[in-house]
Amino acid sequence: MARPSFRASRQTLIAAGTLLAVALVVAFSSRAFIEQHKVEALHPSPALKRVFPLSEINPNLKGTPGDTDVYMYEGPGKGGSLLVIGGSHASEIAGTMTVALLVETLKVDAGTVFLIPHANASAMTHDEPQEAHPRHVFFDTPGGRRAFRLGARFTNPVHQWPDPITYAQPGSGTMLAGAETRNLNRAFPGVENGNLTERIAWGITELIRREGIDLSFDIHESSPEYPVINAIVASETSQDVASYAAISLQSDGWEFALEPSPPNFHGLSHREWTDHTKTRPILLETASAVMGRLRGPTNADLATIGKDPQYVKAAKIGAISVPFDENGISIEVRVARDLAAIAAIVSAFNDLVPDRAILVGGWPDPKELVEHKLGDYLAAP
Amino acid sequence: MLAPLWLLLIMLVVFVACIVLARLPNGLALVLAAIAGSLAAGQGVPMHHMVEGAFAYIDPILLIATAMVFMASLEDSGALGSISRSLMIGLHRQPVLLIMGMTIFIMFPGMITGQSTATVLTTGAISAPVLVALGIPRAKVGAMIAMSAVYGMIAPPISLPTMIIGSGVDMPYTGFEIPLLIATLPLAFAVNLALAWPHLRRIDLQAVLPGLGEDHAKRYGFRLFLPLVIVGGLLAAIRMIPAVSASVGVALVFMIGALAGAVTGRRFNLARSAQRSLRQALPVLGILVGVGAFIQVLTLVGVRGMMVVEALALPSFWKYVGVAVMMPLFGAVSCFGSASVLGVPFLLSFLGHNEIVVGAALSMFAGLGDLVPPTALASYMAAQVVGEPKYLRVAKYTAIPGIITILWAIGMILLANPIARIIPR
Repeated sequence: MARPSFRASRQTLIAAGTLLAVALVVAFSSRAFIEQHKVEALHPSPALKRVFPLSEINPNLKGTPGDTDVYMYEGPGKGGSLLVIGGSHASEIAGTMTVALLVETLKVDAGTVFLIPHANASAMTHDEPQEAHPRHVFFDTPGGRRAFRLGARFTNPVHQWPDPITYAQPGSGTMLAGAETRNLNRAFPGVENGNLTERIAWGITELIRREGIDLSFDIHESSPEYPVINAIVASETSQDVASYAAISLQSDGWEFALEPSPPNFHGLSHREWTDHTKTRPILLETASAVMGRLRGPTNADLATIGKDPQYVKAAKIGAISVPFDENGISIEVRVARDLAAIAAIVSAFNDLVPDRAILVGGWPDPKELVEHKLGDYLAAP
Repeated sequence: MLAPLWLLLIMLVVFVACIVLARLPNGLALVLAAIAGSLAAGQGVPMHHMVEGAFAYIDPILLIATAMVFMASLEDSGALGSISRSLMIGLHRQPVLLIMGMTIFIMFPGMITGQSTATVLTTGAISAPVLVALGIPRAKVGAMIAMSAVYGMIAPPISLPTMIIGSGVDMPYTGFEIPLLIATLPLAFAVNLALAWPHLRRIDLQAVLPGLGEDHAKRYGFRLFLPLVIVGGLLAAIRMIPAVSASVGVALVFMIGALAGAVTGRRFNLARSAQRSLRQALPVLGILVGVGAFIQVLTLVGVRGMMVVEALALPSFWKYVGVAVMMPLFGAVSCFGSASVLGVPFLLSFLGHNEIVVGAALSMFAGLGDLVPPTALASYMAAQVVGEPKYLRVAKYTAIPGIITILWAIGMILLANPIARIIPR
């Protein structure tokens, strides 16, 4: 009888040892995951009027990980209003960095500007499993190094779980894979008291409605193999400003494809803002190697310097939608493209609707930015 | 840093060595292979990547674990045996019809949940005793269940691999119903009839009924089947009224069903049944954890991208060979991963062919991954359901149907445009 009891205790010891090892791994690695919940400080330019939480628009976000800062700038002169959001998909780092750069450099002479650098704040707090993304990217500013989080495409499942089998997009009923229930850019126009992602979407849509925002940008990135890339996506209400801007951008040396917003693909910002608000919506898309399925080793340099021999090979066999050579596509190029497009579209809007002109500037010249480092233009830590 | 090809070779050698020489479980071997790949790439032991990757399949792990408990509950309550008896009594005069009806019956949970394992462990488990009682060898019954589960997962209305491929190129999930039916239903009937045909004969009801166990329905009446009604009803509610039931996960549905089973039929100890079923599921759950860490490191060191680029670089004819080999192989790791990582670029590379028909065909390649060892989720679970100790025997009988499915899917890609023209809109 003693032998079986010895066996049982040995099994118990093995089980206890395994549990202890797992606990140690969890304790050791949890620091890295908790680190990603720390929100990086931004240093707004003097034009800032106030910062308010999105929960001021949708109180259902108060105290949730989906609440996010809205930076409001106002010029001395009267004019229209502008919204720029980044981080709808928190893995698309150029969108976040473009808006962060605007927060720190913006000057407004006329009109009002709203900036949301982390549109899906929950998505900033984790990475997508199996994408092996770096948790942070780094920029050397004149005053020292700053780290910015690189998050995930979807809301953190710790904050919104479980996913349904399929996601029926609210309003339209369009059926999508279940995980898309955590995709902010499939949740517009949102639901005031829906799931976390839908509440964020409703907050942003309602901000546009309540403030009567004239022009709204949603900045994205995509894999170089994605067909809608280096593009300005505009709906029927924003085609006018987008077309004007595309011509002026081209004459200035910037190649952009002008893509129409699909009328039947619901949940996307440009589609739903068209159907549910009076704004002119624009989505910008740049190419990022760190997003792609064809990429080589994944690290922070791939997200910022953007060089990748596997994409060079993919470009040679025609497997991708953008030119990609040994110089890669750096974050400076991607942010510069976003800034150039914003400037051109705001300018086109001002020409078309002069009584609502939005007079803004202060950010680096896009052509100059391409020749320098992004950190040169960011505030010191 | 070593080239991705060398890193892949190192990872594979370590994986095989861990299994063959050290006789470690597959899951642990995958984790050690991932660590070896990371070390060889100069990344050290990237703890957060290992943990993050290991959590990639937390939802399927919960689903499999709870479905196993549900199945044990149905078995121990007597519901499983009673349903098998009823099916046999009702359809024993028409064996061919019985096989075709069983095929649709087995596929059904996959069609509404998009999961093959949930299918094997529910309707697969119910059908297994009936098919075995017909005289079909256990391994072949396992293959029939595994194949039906894979076809069910791809068939409409819910085909998660198709949705994943579509979302990668912003293609809404509309218009896929008929292409997905073309992809799955004829094959499901043909494959199951072909597997069962040599064993079909006139059924002597009195001879086979004792093998199906006691009839508990007489004693407990309809309430014996309540767990199935509850699970079916909740799954249908999730599907039909998502606004109300979106936060009810499928794992929770199975647990509710398992609890119901404990009070609606023959009395049994649910905790013991759960323990038994989890012990059976543990190897495959371990594999899923290991696979998650393995893919994370494949991505980290650039091997995943290299595989995709090499596949896309293949010349026209070899591209079909590439898609036929690589998608099921990657699907062995994760059929949803295969749909996302390989399905999307392959869809783009087949531009010019009708994208809806091609998307449906690519989903089939990804779905076949559930039959490919070492994970072979559908075959592994089917072997457990039919009581076949060696899952490779089940996997053996899925090989030819798998190849036929590949040829069918290639045919769909080649004929995508003519097929699209005859599909009513």
